[in-house]
Amino acid sequence: MTTFLATEYGVGVGWRPEIAGFVAELPGLRFAEVVAESVHDHDDLPPGLAELLARGVAVVPHGVRLSLGGAEPVEPERVRHLARVAERVGAPLVSEHIAFVRAGGVEAGHLLPIPRSRESVDAIVANVKRTQAELSVPIALEPIAAVFDWPDNELAEGDFLTEILEQTGALLLLDVANVYANAINRGTEPAALFDRIPLERVAYVHVAGGAEHDGIYHDTHTDAVPQVVFDLVAELCSRRRPPALMLERDGHYPPADALRQELDAIAKASGYPAVT
Amino acid sequence: MAERQAELVGTLASGAPVPDGFDPRLVETARVALLRKRAGEVAKAWPALAASHGRDWSRTFARWAAARPTRGSLRDGWDLARAAGELRADAAEELAVREATYVYDGTAAPRPRRLPAVRRGDGGVIIQVAGRLRILRRP
Repeated sequence: MTTFLATEYGVGVGWRPEIAGFVAELPGLRFAEVVAESVHDHDDLPPGLAELLARGVAVVPHGVRLSLGGAEPVEPERVRHLARVAERVGAPLVSEHIAFVRAGGVEAGHLLPIPRSRESVDAIVANVKRTQAELSVPIALEPIAAVFDWPDNELAEGDFLTEILEQTGALLLLDVANVYANAINRGTEPAALFDRIPLERVAYVHVAGGAEHDGIYHDTHTDAVPQVVFDLVAELCSRRRPPALMLERDGHYPPADALRQELDAIAKASGYPAVT
Repeated sequence: MAERQAELVGTLASGAPVPDGFDPRLVETARVALLRKRAGEVAKAWPALAASHGRDWSRTFARWAAARPTRGSLRDGWDLARAAGELRADAAEELAVREATYVYDGTAAPRPRRLPAVRRGDGGVIIQVAGRLRILRRP
């Protein structure tokens, strides 16, 4: 765990098959993330990913379907898959969400918020521990962007996150766009959360785009990153700069120049060297 | 908590009533956004099917999917294409290629066909042997 936190990976990118060619040509890249469920645990690696590993880029599997926040125990086969993918790519770390994605056998098709209650903390802590038992590397947990809150919230967001991290020993994957989205939609100050969470546990940071519809900010990953989100990255880094920050784009991929500009904007906001 | 999580998934994935205590406007916003996201994902897996609906794709998909929780983009698009009746030629070919490559009974996950298969598309015939496809187009 300390090894990852002590290494400066700098600016990275979410590797996706659609932008594999673009990512392959980023000269300074040292860090990338791959959706864990998109990697086979024994068959061929997706084209382009093996080349990235051969270049010495650190690749972090990012799970999206474990449902760590589900009331039911995490499915052992999904945990084993994540662990095997981490070993295949020689990952220094894996990540997943503080969320649930299915209940009663029905898939939600999206990351859903869990109540900020004691019961909920107990459930996710148990699932994170079950997952850690199978992993040979640390796990970082990512708080999600949610359009609505549960009525049963007992804990403030910062206390809720800190409690989960303390009980599990997990690291934090902080999505600055999620922080922005939640604050805007709840009418609070985005940077205020930075004072309430253990910034020294931030393993890496997601930077993503979003869009506003009918007064609600949606964390879409398919739109440009707003300047306010880059400003929030700068604000975070002025308090404590995380080892890695990455651009997370999941569709409607813009031309390479636009992606390069967003990577450069992350470099500028964080003070890490440009990777383009 | 398990019951309340299941209730919430029922609301978002099948259009069941909003559980007590939640803000109905915000949950509805999330439900609509989720359908928009699903439409985008299915369009990636079924580009010709989505393109054949043009600008109406998101709305058409949302209408069909509102009461159907996702079974993954591949199956969602497949079920919709099968239910759609008449398809534009390229969407029909997209479906025929999949039908020739996989066995899919509409209930279990599709699996690759072991035996050769022939399917008729609008513009020709699709032949699959040992996982390889040949498309014979009509002149």
